[in-house]
Amino acid sequence: MPRLTVIMGERRTEIPFEGNPTVRQVLMGKQVPVHHPCGGHGVCKKCALRMEGQLSPRSDAEKNLPAEMRLSCTTVLLGDACVWVNQDAMTAIQHDGIMQDVTLNPMDGHVGAAVDVGTTTVAVRLLDLHTGEVLGVETRENPQRAIASDVIGRMEAAMQNEGEALRRSICGAVEEMIGNLCKKAGVREADMRVVTGNTTMLYLYTGKDPACLSCAPFEADCLFDLKEGDTYFPPCMSAFVGADITCAVLASGMMDAQQTALLVDVGTNGEIALWRDGQMLVSATAAGPAFEGGGIQMGCGSIPGAVDKVWVEDGKIRYTAIGGAEPVGLCGSGIIDAAAALLDTEMIDETGAAEEDELLIAPSVFLTDRDIRSIQLAKGAIAAGIKTLMDEQGITADDIDVMYLAGGFGSHLNLASAARIGLIPQALVDKTAVIGNGALSGAHMMLLNKECMEKARSIAAKARTVNLGGNPTFTENFMECMMFE
Amino acid sequence: MQILSDISSALQRGKAKEVVALVEQAIAEQVPAKEILEQGLLHGMNIIGEKFKNNEVFVPEVLVAARAMNKGTAVLKPLLSAEGVKANGRVCIGTVKGDLHDIGKNLVKMMMEGKGLEVVDLGTDVSPEMFVQAAKEQNCQIICCSALLTTTMSVMGDVVKEAEKQGIRNQVKIMVGGAPVTEGFAAQIGADKYTSDAASAADAAVAFCAEMA
Repeated sequence: MPRLTVIMGERRTEIPFEGNPTVRQVLMGKQVPVHHPCGGHGVCKKCALRMEGQLSPRSDAEKNLPAEMRLSCTTVLLGDACVWVNQDAMTAIQHDGIMQDVTLNPMDGHVGAAVDVGTTTVAVRLLDLHTGEVLGVETRENPQRAIASDVIGRMEAAMQNEGEALRRSICGAVEEMIGNLCKKAGVREADMRVVTGNTTMLYLYTGKDPACLSCAPFEADCLFDLKEGDTYFPPCMSAFVGADITCAVLASGMMDAQQTALLVDVGTNGEIALWRDGQMLVSATAAGPAFEGGGIQMGCGSIPGAVDKVWVEDGKIRYTAIGGAEPVGLCGSGIIDAAAALLDTEMIDETGAAEEDELLIAPSVFLTDRDIRSIQLAKGAIAAGIKTLMDEQGITADDIDVMYLAGGFGSHLNLASAARIGLIPQALVDKTAVIGNGALSGAHMMLLNKECMEKARSIAAKARTVNLGGNPTFTENFMECMMFE
Repeated sequence: MQILSDISSALQRGKAKEVVALVEQAIAEQVPAKEILEQGLLHGMNIIGEKFKNNEVFVPEVLVAARAMNKGTAVLKPLLSAEGVKANGRVCIGTVKGDLHDIGKNLVKMMMEGKGLEVVDLGTDVSPEMFVQAAKEQNCQIICCSALLTTTMSVMGDVVKEAEKQGIRNQVKIMVGGAPVTEGFAAQIGADKYTSDAASAADAAVAFCAEMA
């Protein structure tokens, strides 16, 4: 049988295969950190790897790649071959955050695990249910990324008979993480779990068919609030706004006070909740992967050498790179800072038009004029989502008392830069509370006080979803919010 | 003619009111409607289209320019039909069933109108039957399908099949586009053309219409 040899640093693994699969098909589910952001369609070119051996001829999609580089998703194996995979440093994953104090009135059991299954990352917090003490935290990338990195790609995979593979990969990872934490804490096992995440992630975790989430009219046939064995899944609000947001709202305590409050979780999907006069409006807006470095020519994760801070000093652009390393690319916070700095130095104007094709940020690290357009689309989608919910309530940013920023990206964001490029309203910069991983904190609260389950139910029941797709107010706002003014 | 270049420049700046006033003035000055359309409105829209292709302007600028053009065209319409001026071709366009993302589709529509094509907008979530029925009833030379989701793009193949089933496949060209769509995919489902951006889509549509005229 022919073999594919995978070389990762010092490690060599030989994987036998039958027939003529693509490299992606062979690597899938093999714990190899190769991501396919476009779902293996040969579009994004992020799965380019160095390859040698008996391979199919280069496809059109591979035209502009260096000679030894091939796309894992389109290259077909014709016989023995060799592939080199970077042991690309793990992205820093958000696992802490603020939450509301709860009186101890725990769910049944001795040891509980709060689990946040994100599209990109997974975080587990182990808790002593008798004392409320945190026994440990573990994070890792969502192993489903090896199959497809975005939500749509994963739904598509599930609908093409990979649902069981997706379920096994995430459940296996979570059980392994819980096992590791138990061992470290010296406890036998966790006997209660609260697993939260966006609606699609919970569908895939429980092996449900996500077809109803994949196309219009986007109506989820299950919104959870479900107990299966020793696992509780908190309620989702809609197909787009999941249990992770219910949990983040719970953790923020935004509904506990007489206030007008906004909660925003910026990721590939921006989820937004607006609380005012006893009413909760929620929405999700497709920002795309630009803030995670996807679709940005030199975009990257939070790896050593990623430019993470950019500012202007004496009219010159300055930067820092993670680990003080030689700059290699721009991570999410760096991308937003860089765009703000380019505006301040007038290298781009308020319409996003650029003086040059390549806008230098650090030695050999630049944003292209096309990157600027991707940033405009991404930030426009989030800002327009916020504005559409405010319009629905007839208020402006000045009427908002507090904005809770949830999620890993929000924690590293420079608020002044975010306001400079118009991602968030200027009026909210000084009213922002960064709450970190609110989803995990919400699950944590539920484990320690079972009345929080009731609270989560009431949050989900109160929430009214405002659909943005095909919504004329949103389209109007989107056009306006794409500008940098 | 100065007034025609004024119309073009007001349109490029997205000044709808100014465009309408200038078009009315040109009509009063007895400039033929066809000239106002081609050397004023379409001229301006073409420049915006080129700039969009070159990344010099972005979606919002295209949108305001297209709005200004539509306002100007509305004033001209009765005169154009009186002069017997016909559109360069007729296209029906929509996002496929299951897909509600219409910004790309709207851009293509604007670019096509900017090239003097008549565009029947079927909106979002359009079934293969609706595409084909519209093409038949309104004599469209081209069906344009847009999809932004990998989960919905397969519907484009159903549009091709439906056109075959209803016996109009050799009378229409089928064009496809959207972020996940590729040239390979278009070939695989038997579509006639894939373009990667709105301006090229409009160019391709004009070429098809000229070919089929």
